[in-house]
Amino acid sequence: MTAAFTLSGVCKRYPAFALEDVDLALPEGEIMGLVGVNGAGKSTLLRLLGGLALPDRGTIEVLGHPMPAQQVQAKREIGLASEDMRLYGSQTLRWHMDLVRAAYPRWDEAYAGELLRRFDLRAAQPLKAFSHGQRVKALLLLNLARRPRLLLLDEPTTGLDPVARAEVLEALSEVLRDAARSVLFSSHDTHDIERLADRITFLHGGRVIDARDTAAFLDDWRRIVCHGALPASVGQWDGVASVRANGSLSELRVRGAEAVVGLLRAAGADVRSVDPMNLEEIFVATVRGGGKH
Amino acid sequence: MSPLANLPMIRLLVAKDWDLFQRQLAAYVGAGILALALIGSAKPWTFYLGSLLLLVVLVAAACFAISTSLLTERKERTLGFVMSLPVTPLDFYLAKIAGNLVTFGVPFVVLVGGTAGVILSTPVPDGLLVWSLLVFGHVLLAHAVSLSVAMAVESEGWNTFAMIASMVLVNPFIMMLGQIPAIAGPMRGEAIVWSAEAIAILSTQVLLSAAVIGFTGWVHCRKRAFY
Repeated sequence: MTAAFTLSGVCKRYPAFALEDVDLALPEGEIMGLVGVNGAGKSTLLRLLGGLALPDRGTIEVLGHPMPAQQVQAKREIGLASEDMRLYGSQTLRWHMDLVRAAYPRWDEAYAGELLRRFDLRAAQPLKAFSHGQRVKALLLLNLARRPRLLLLDEPTTGLDPVARAEVLEALSEVLRDAARSVLFSSHDTHDIERLADRITFLHGGRVIDARDTAAFLDDWRRIVCHGALPASVGQWDGVASVRANGSLSELRVRGAEAVVGLLRAAGADVRSVDPMNLEEIFVATVRGGGKH
Repeated sequence: MSPLANLPMIRLLVAKDWDLFQRQLAAYVGAGILALALIGSAKPWTFYLGSLLLLVVLVAAACFAISTSLLTERKERTLGFVMSLPVTPLDFYLAKIAGNLVTFGVPFVVLVGGTAGVILSTPVPDGLLVWSLLVFGHVLLAHAVSLSVAMAVESEGWNTFAMIASMVLVNPFIMMLGQIPAIAGPMRGEAIVWSAEAIAILSTQVLLSAAVIGFTGWVHCRKRAFY
């Protein structure tokens, strides 16, 4: 099976930021969510894959095309929408649709019309008269209607009102149902990622600190609440990301709960509950734990 | 992939720029034709007013073509959208050069042709033709330098400086031409005199413009980020 993309030992340095030694791959037909704080390197990673930036070191392959050598072939099969990408304010959405249609032979006019209706956009309206939400939806329309094999989305729902966000997520879910399509998207909203992604990658400080399939992430992490005194070394135990004490109760966030629960019981602690964690909690615990496994 | 293989995309980007700026450029051509009409009426005051207007129109058209097609694209963050289309940096560079040949070149050629026509067909001395073409040559070189700086340097300050400095230099250039007897002498006569000095200056302007544009292409293709 062709990989949607492969990054091997990729580095990209800017004066105030560096993406370091990124090794990452996405099998075709899967959806990967990128989670990271501002400045973690999410946009840089997406720009490298979209051909908007060249790596200082390492190799990138997109849909079987080495970048940048075959970027034209790769870009013909990519849709890239980023939060900081703007369209021409003086021109109408129809003008943009005609421009993109001329550049992409797979442009689907019927689907574009359907998206226009669903997103409640007017093709004859100049972009400068669009609200932020409408601009995001217009950019998404221009990307979706070209029927890309790989969709790269940088913060697609940031700044949208709840209704626009729901519309965008609905359109995305539809794209994601097509098994031949691969998607890499970044978002601050871990709920979106938890809901849509097959695989999740945590980026922090320009490095990939964890990357696995969503179910494995969620199955692996637990919040343990226990009663009684804990050994002083509990924070150093394998799998323990954080320990917080509140009176006689302690809350631990751990990876591989079974072993930790056994150790706690052996140390005389009364384990009261072991609960699943959501992706946001897992991300915070991973970052605070320095990405240790 | 060779740029020739991606010619349809280069053509598409040129057509896009033409679409974006054609109305304003038509206005520049209109103002240029008005300037030529003033020059052609051959009264001293209309001649000077027309010449000044023509120079202003040429400089404005040159600056407009560069600032709208390159600086505004970067400032308004539409560059990322363009570079996400199936193009290479070389395709983008070629499209911008070709686009500027159209967006600046069309008014430029219309005004050069118009000026030659007015000089040759009205009582304005024919000897002025060589001097006029040298002034046009300076505007062409200034446009090439400003275009190159705009493609290679992202700083708005340096771009503004390059545009203003190169265009304002037309004044000392005109004064310099007045100091060269082989060029200034025949200006008021009816004979068109292509002296060795005039040919050398015009050739330098054209060759230097081509060299600056070529060097910029080399620099542009070595950039590491395009958004």
